[in-house]
Amino acid sequence: MEIFIAQIINGISLGSIYVLLVTGFNLLLLVAMIIHFSFPIVVVLSMYVSWIVLGLTGNNIFLGVIAGIVSAILINIITAPMFQHIMKKRGDVDINSTMVLSMGIGMIITDFLSHSVNSGFPIAFPDNLTGRNLGAFFQIGMISISRGDMISLSMGIVFVLGLFWILYKTRAGRAFRAIAEDPAGAKLVGIPILKTGLQSYAMTGVLGGVSAVSIAILLGSASPGLGDQLGHKVLAVSIIAGLGNLKGGLIIGILLGILEALVQGYWSGTWSNSIAFVVMLLAILIKPKGIFGIKL
Amino acid sequence: MSLPLYYFLAITAVYILMTWALYLPYRVAHLHFIVVANMAISGYFGGYAAINWNWPFLLILAVGLILGAVVAFIVSIAIGDAPTFAVVIVGFTFIYITKTVIENWEALGSTMGMFGIPMVNHVLLVAYLFVLVTGFFIYRFDNSRLGRAASAIFVNRELATSFGVNTKHLGMFLQTWAGAIGGATGVLYAFIMNSLFPDFFTFHIIGITMTMLFLGGYTTMWGPLLAAPVLWGLPLLLPQEVASWKMIIYGVLLIVILLVRPEGAITRQVAARVRSIVLRR
Amino acid sequence: MNRQNETILKVDDVYLSYGHVEALKGVSLEVKRGEIVVLVGANGAGKTSIMESILGVYQSRKGTVTFKDKNVTNLSADKIVRKGIYLVPEGRGVFASMTVIDNLLLGAHHNLKNAKAKLTYVYDLFPILSERRNQIAGTLSGGERQMLAIARALMSNPEMIMVDEPSIGLAPKIVSDIFKILKELNKEGYSILLSEQNVYKALKLSHRGYVLETGKVVLTGTSEELLINPEIRKAYLGA
Repeated sequence: MEIFIAQIINGISLGSIYVLLVTGFNLLLLVAMIIHFSFPIVVVLSMYVSWIVLGLTGNNIFLGVIAGIVSAILINIITAPMFQHIMKKRGDVDINSTMVLSMGIGMIITDFLSHSVNSGFPIAFPDNLTGRNLGAFFQIGMISISRGDMISLSMGIVFVLGLFWILYKTRAGRAFRAIAEDPAGAKLVGIPILKTGLQSYAMTGVLGGVSAVSIAILLGSASPGLGDQLGHKVLAVSIIAGLGNLKGGLIIGILLGILEALVQGYWSGTWSNSIAFVVMLLAILIKPKGIFGIKL
Repeated sequence: MSLPLYYFLAITAVYILMTWALYLPYRVAHLHFIVVANMAISGYFGGYAAINWNWPFLLILAVGLILGAVVAFIVSIAIGDAPTFAVVIVGFTFIYITKTVIENWEALGSTMGMFGIPMVNHVLLVAYLFVLVTGFFIYRFDNSRLGRAASAIFVNRELATSFGVNTKHLGMFLQTWAGAIGGATGVLYAFIMNSLFPDFFTFHIIGITMTMLFLGGYTTMWGPLLAAPVLWGLPLLLPQEVASWKMIIYGVLLIVILLVRPEGAITRQVAARVRSIVLRR
Repeated sequence: MNRQNETILKVDDVYLSYGHVEALKGVSLEVKRGEIVVLVGANGAGKTSIMESILGVYQSRKGTVTFKDKNVTNLSADKIVRKGIYLVPEGRGVFASMTVIDNLLLGAHHNLKNAKAKLTYVYDLFPILSERRNQIAGTLSGGERQMLAIARALMSNPEMIMVDEPSIGLAPKIVSDIFKILKELNKEGYSILLSEQNVYKALKLSHRGYVLETGKVVLTGTSEELLINPEIRKAYLGA
């Protein structure tokens, strides 16, 4: 029972990372109308930037975190014109080609990381960022919660709440929702589509940067292949929930985290990771259009 | 024949076939990467059957083809009419699961790879015969009623349904066919290389074949035929230091072609113009 | 200061095509300050196309649009909204998943400074919207949605409002209410460009009218003239 509770808690903090990533992914899908499959790969690149800055500044946490967040925003803004070019050229958005473009970006980033940084070996984040050396945050019997769990969980909660606040309480959020519901109608009421799309890239960049820091704290390491795996899971979570369904993404993201943590708690080994994939595969095969309905 | 030339020709055939396997479901806007998993499953099956059961090459090729078709067919029952992104993620997930199974299966050599797949004569000849036969059938398909229906589905699924096109059956048919090509290609690859590594069947091969499809042009079968030898051959000619960046080169090419010429090098217009020139002579 | 006869909007020889389909073939018209001008014509005559090309939703192939003596041809829609033109689209175009107040605030998207005062103003005009402010727009009745769409237009501080087919799908009693509202708004100083299939009611309401056929203006005149024109009576008024 104690393992069960401990793994549920671990799972929720792991799930909070998926939620951050899925929410960013869905936001781009709804507002900028792109399937940014490689968004999590961009996040992993930001983790690497953060790691490099940590190395250069003698593990200055503040600068490392800032570097991670700023780089995620910058990468998003830099790649935005390419997506917008495709959108303008086609008149109607060809959402498939945005996905292929995103995969191209992912190929470049992943190969760059496996060639150039740390000779392609996994990188480890310093203890003063992850807090591994400080022991558990609290412990009752077998139930132990690490500082990393606590921090990434609270960051996930704060930023997802913040995002929903922006979506439902601010001018930009109102425009986001209007475009998500009806892009043509949003144009008629005078919302600048491209500019608002750009804002969504910037905001997703913030989410991406926060996710990068959060993953660094929780996992304590990164490798070039991490982005592909995360990208894969994030797209799967989004599809299982229903593409573009923000609230559905919250639920499925957390559930995936819990599932993975439980599997790891009871059947450790190289097989454990693929159990989550089998479950995801079955869910998609049974309901290719998602459980909570596509919001596109 | 010199060894480098042999490998160039043989692997080119593999990439032509794999890109065609991507091309077929993409006729109905399905980017179906399950063909890479089919390649791995049938390839490993073929290697195992050749080493342990001494099956003859052509029998393995036939069984590998059927195996690929069956796997793709079963999956297509669920996603024959699914949206593109669902098809994509099913393909990825399948690859991931297949790879995990192989890496944990001692008899298949797990992460070390499978060695000692016997040499057989005329692999290259069989490979190109298979390219010819496949190309012939794709050509027949593209110029048939079904091919036109597929083009209609690519542009507008709902509209195509209103014309009386059965989008699900056509999607299932193309996915199954692609799976068969993937399976047979896996067997060919196993006998060309005489060894298999699980790491080959991953995002690497997805990136290469996807670039070949979109750079060559996804609207006709000629795009992959042209792009495969060029894109596969180019890094072989480059100096080693540059060639090791080939995935980045592919990625950049893929992005550039999407931005500059979204339908790829060989569009339908280009194909029609070439045909009219050829026919006039 | 006699601004009554000042031309606020001038459309000059505008051509518009969607792909190979020519929707407008050289349309010219004008709206004077304080006028209600009605566009009359069958489906596909080009009424919506004119409004959308004025608003800059589609780029016209040829011709100019002048608003308050400034050339606004082919500016993007959000810029034109800032200049003071607002479209109430056919089928109301409200965002069904969003609340009434969200929809209203979207109207003031480009300028939220006086949003509070403007909200009070439109709630005053449409008390029913004030009651339903936190309701999801999708749950409103057809007439309420039309009111919401008009109220949203007012939130944008427009000088000219274009109303596309406001009566579609509404009961006659509600159509009369909507027309009364338009008349009142006109008295308050808003210029209105209206497109309508209910020709008789629309001509009764408006000052002038343009008759469109397949992308061209075929007839124009004051509403009184059009109402007694035999061709109009035959084609649209069933007499």
